Amino acid sequence: MKLWVSVAFVALTSVVRAEVLLSEDEIQQTLSFGPWPPPIQPDPSNRGSNDPRAIALGAALFDDPVLSIDGALACASCHNPEQAFTTLDPRAFGRVLLDRNTPSLRNLAGLRWYGWGGKSDNLWAASLHPIVEEQEMAHSEESLKRAISESPYVSDFEDIFGDIESQNPELVLVKIAKALSAYLETLVTERTQFDDFRDALERSDLAEAANYPEAAQRGLQLFLGRGNCAFCHNGPRFSNNEFHDAGVPYFLSETEVDEGRFGGLNFLLSSPYTLDGDWNDDPDKQGAWAVRNVRRSHSDFGNFRTPSLRGVAETDPYMHDGSLNDLDAVVRHYSEIDTERLHTNGDAVLSELKLTEQEIADLVAFLETLSSATRP
Amino acid sequence: MIRWLVWFLASSGAAIACEATGQRMSTETQNAPAVHVAVDEIPLAQPFSILLTVCGETAVSEMRVDAVMPAHQHGMNYLPVVTAIGDDVFRIDDMLFHMPGKWELQVDVEYNGQTVSYTYDLALK
Repeated sequence: MKLWVSVAFVALTSVVRAEVLLSEDEIQQTLSFGPWPPPIQPDPSNRGSNDPRAIALGAALFDDPVLSIDGALACASCHNPEQAFTTLDPRAFGRVLLDRNTPSLRNLAGLRWYGWGGKSDNLWAASLHPIVEEQEMAHSEESLKRAISESPYVSDFEDIFGDIESQNPELVLVKIAKALSAYLETLVTERTQFDDFRDALERSDLAEAANYPEAAQRGLQLFLGRGNCAFCHNGPRFSNNEFHDAGVPYFLSETEVDEGRFGGLNFLLSSPYTLDGDWNDDPDKQGAWAVRNVRRSHSDFGNFRTPSLRGVAETDPYMHDGSLNDLDAVVRHYSEIDTERLHTNGDAVLSELKLTEQEIADLVAFLETLSSATRP
Repeated sequence: MIRWLVWFLASSGAAIACEATGQRMSTETQNAPAVHVAVDEIPLAQPFSILLTVCGETAVSEMRVDAVMPAHQHGMNYLPVVTAIGDDVFRIDDMLFHMPGKWELQVDVEYNGQTVSYTYDLALK
């Protein structure tokens, strides 16, 4: 009797184990994509970070067209909270059609770089630039101060940041951006089916882990292995937050190109709003090492920041120019990539994967488990 | 690739035989002073520091540090900062490996106008 129980137990264990397809090495790699959500760490460069009053003011301003010169646009016009803080448009439409796809605004706290070209090294600067960009909100520092002074938000502003009339317009601009940043820091994607799988593996609970669909597991194996995806999409956010050539054309027209990281660095290094600048509230200037030490290279041209894959099923279309409509198209792009389009002096990471239809479906199945919802 | 230069002036006299920590780096130069590298666990896509110890009797006048990923034909995206913290010990800050895989640490040390190159392989999962 005892023997039969033992045999049955071994057999049962084998069956359960067989449903977790990952090798020990793949399991160890999988653990590196969590835990999720990450611990909350206030931004030392922003005195308003983690302050409930600043968060509330930022949330209200985000939805209000007072931040555009003519009241025509709010942040939420392009970063629609109902659409995962982006829109379905391939390229953003501010006052004119812009050059790039609108990035989602979730999971932004604590990144090293912001924007497709990384023109900001902190979230309040990334919040500030659209307010004064001519093609976006188009405020001047003076018009913004006037608009806030005349708005219902002036008392909240003064409760947090002091008397507005005595402050110069640039200071008001920075403080508004810091309130927005305090709000944006709170936007975090929910836990997902993948996180349950990852945490079950960490607990060595293979029975629980086996609930993760086999198609997604096969997709994860491709993601970690032959697909080379994890070279750039790594860590709990599924992004190394650096810049790469993904083989997507960067010509805007016959005569214009999107310079990508090259242009982002030009902007960054001439900006007063970096962590190395005077507007940083942190006397220790933590994080300023990156802007001080970042290298410039011709291969930055046409490179774009690795986007996070958390919530990716909700943020179509994809790539810096929104040129790929869905996840299937993205996987096929990498499967059939035209290596002639890659920089000759750039990363030699990508090659034509020649995935089968089953493998494409598996990779898409995996990517979909990184979202708690699909596109509303 | 274009290699970058970190400048530093040795504030002390000649480096001498020392109690090195870490692993000895490789060099093709015969009878070159030994250089040892001490590195803790390397975090992926996050900054980290290493210690380099030079064991020899000749003063170090300059040190250049870099790292490349031979399989991918790229280096680091940031310039590390070299700080002398003792007669023969240097701390290298702001190293950042933004991809998993094999990296080659490259150190050029100048002694009396002569440069000796050292390498050491690091694997990052």
